[in-house]
Amino acid sequence: MQGLDVLAEKDERIMLVCADSLLAMRATGFVEKFPDRYIEAGIAEQNAAAIAAGLAIDGLIPFFATYAGFITMRACEQLRTFVAYPNLNVKFAGVNGGIAGGEREGVTHQFFEDIGILRTMPNFTILVPADAGQATKACIAAAAIPGPVYIRLGSGRDPVVFDAGKPFVPGKINVISEKGNDIALFGNGVMLPRLFKAAEILETKGFGVTVAEVHTVKPLDVEGITAVLKKCGAAVTAEDHNIIGGLGSAIMETAAGYYPVPVERIGLRDVFPGSGLPDELLDYYQMSVNDIVNAAISAISRKSKL
Amino acid sequence: MSERIEKLQQMATQIRRDIVNAIYYSGDGHPGPCMSIVDIMTPLLFDIMRLDPSQPKWLHRDRFILSKGHAAPALYAGLARRGYFLPSQLKNLRKLGSPLQGHPVPKETPGVEVTAGSLGHGLSQGCGMALAARKRGDDNVIFVVTGDGELNEGIVWEAAMTIAKYKLTNLIAVVDNNGVQSGGKVTEIGGLVKLKEKWEAFGWYAVEIDGHDLGLLTIAFENAARRGRLPLEKRSGMTIIPGMEAPLPEQPIVFIAKTVKGKGVPYMEGNNAWHKRVPTIEEYETAMSVLGGKDLE
Repeated sequence: MQGLDVLAEKDERIMLVCADSLLAMRATGFVEKFPDRYIEAGIAEQNAAAIAAGLAIDGLIPFFATYAGFITMRACEQLRTFVAYPNLNVKFAGVNGGIAGGEREGVTHQFFEDIGILRTMPNFTILVPADAGQATKACIAAAAIPGPVYIRLGSGRDPVVFDAGKPFVPGKINVISEKGNDIALFGNGVMLPRLFKAAEILETKGFGVTVAEVHTVKPLDVEGITAVLKKCGAAVTAEDHNIIGGLGSAIMETAAGYYPVPVERIGLRDVFPGSGLPDELLDYYQMSVNDIVNAAISAISRKSKL
Repeated sequence: MSERIEKLQQMATQIRRDIVNAIYYSGDGHPGPCMSIVDIMTPLLFDIMRLDPSQPKWLHRDRFILSKGHAAPALYAGLARRGYFLPSQLKNLRKLGSPLQGHPVPKETPGVEVTAGSLGHGLSQGCGMALAARKRGDDNVIFVVTGDGELNEGIVWEAAMTIAKYKLTNLIAVVDNNGVQSGGKVTEIGGLVKLKEKWEAFGWYAVEIDGHDLGLLTIAFENAARRGRLPLEKRSGMTIIPGMEAPLPEQPIVFIAKTVKGKGVPYMEGNNAWHKRVPTIEEYETAMSVLGGKDLE
C-alpha cells in the first residue's frame, strides 16, 4: 500500500477503510503517518463498503482494502448498489486475487471470481497490476479516475515483473514485445512471467509472438486488442482467474464482436482449487508455461480452419 | 397545540395526501410504510434540520437519511414540500424518465442523500458521513431513519458497533417501530425482541417515544440535534426528553419511535395488506376525504 502513502501526502481527501485488514494490507505505516484518516470497521466488509460510500458522498476518497473476495463477494451488493450505482469515488484494493495469491490458505482465501463479478457492474474500473511497483502506480492512477475502481492484488510476494521506471497507463494495453505475428499472448497479474517464458519457447520453435499486458480489464482497450488480433490472427489469454468471466472472456467477446480469430484461454478451468505453493498451484491447475505454449500452438493450428 | 406544532401537523397531513396521490397516480408503491414515518420526518425536514433546498449539495447541511427506502414516496413528498422540486413531480413516481425512482438514489433526485431500498444500509452510510463531518470539524448532524423490519439485517448491527465505537453523537438514529414487516409481525418474522435492550447492549442511549406525537418528537429531536452539534466536553447532563435521565456524553442516540403502519388513513392503519398496495378509486376518494383535500400542486 505504498501508493496510498504517496497519495495521502498530497491529498487530504485520501482515507483508508479496513475490515480488520490493516496487517494483511501491510498498511500500519499509513496509520502511523495519518492516524485520523484510517477508519476501522471491524470484520464487517459490508459495513466497511457502505461507510466508504458515506465518506465518498461527503467528498472524501476512501480506499477500502482487504481480501479480494471479502470485497467482491461478501460486500458484492454494497459495491453494486451503494457505490457503483451512485457512481461514488470509492477505491477498493483486494489482496489474494487468484489462486496463487491465496496459496496455502485454501479456497476460502483464493479469489478467482472477483473480476468476473465486477465486470458486470456498470461504472467500475478494474485494474490488475502485476507486481508491487505496478500496484503502487495503479493505486495512484485509481485516485485520479473518477468513480469506483477495483485494484486486484496478489499475495504481496509476487515476483517483480517491470522496471520501477515503467509508466502505468490505465485503459490501454501495454504491448511488451512484438516479435512477429503468428500468435498474440494477452495476460495480466501473476501470469505475466509465465507468458514471457512461453513467448521465448514459442520463438525458439520458430513462431513470431506478440505479447501484451492487459492490466485494465474494464474499460477494456477494445481498439488496442482488436489491432493486435488483426495483426496476429490468433491469441492466447492468461490470467489467474476462472476462465469464465475474466480477461479471457473479455478478449473472446472482443474477438467475437470485432475480429473473430481463434482464442485459447489459460486460467482456472472452472474448478475449486486446493492449498499449495503459488507456482505449484498454477502448474497443477493447467496454467503452466507449457500449457500456454500448447494453447498457442493449438490456436495457431486453428487459424486456417476458421 | 402551539403554532409551531400546528404548522407541522398541517404539513404532515399534506405529506400524507401527497403519498396517497403519488402512489395512486403511479399505480405502485408502499403506502403503509410511508405513512408510519411521516410524523418522524416532518419535524426534521421542516423544523430541526439545517437545510438549504437551493443548494442540495451544500457541504455543511444536516443529512436526512431514509434507510427504509421503500418509503420513498414519503421522502419525495417531504423533499418536494421543502422546496427541492415541484410537488407536481410526485405524479411521475416510478415512471420511465422520472427523477423519482422506485427507490431513492442521490444522483437522480435533489435532496436524496443516499441510495436506499436494499435494506439495512442507512446507518453505515450515515456513519461514513458522520466520520467525514468530524474530520472536517463540522457541526452538522445526520439523522438516519430505519424501519424495524430492516433491523433483521446484520449490517445494521455492524454499523451500530462502529458508530458507538467512534462515539458518533452527530449521528442520530430513529427506528420506525411499527411492529410489522412485509410478511407479518417483526417479533415473528425476524424474531425482533427487546429492541431497547439490544441498542443499549451496543452502547447506545435508546429512548422509546410515541412516533406520532409531533410535539414530543420535535422537542426530542431538537435536543438531540443541539447535543450532536456540540463538542464532547460541553454536553454532559443534556437531557433529551424532559424528566428522563441524560445520555452519557459519548453515547449515540437512537429513538425507538412507536408508530402505526398506515397511520392517518383509517382503513390502512394496522392492516398489513397496505404494506404494498395501490388504492382503488373508492379507496383513494376515502383517503382524500379523511386527509382533507386532493391537491398535488
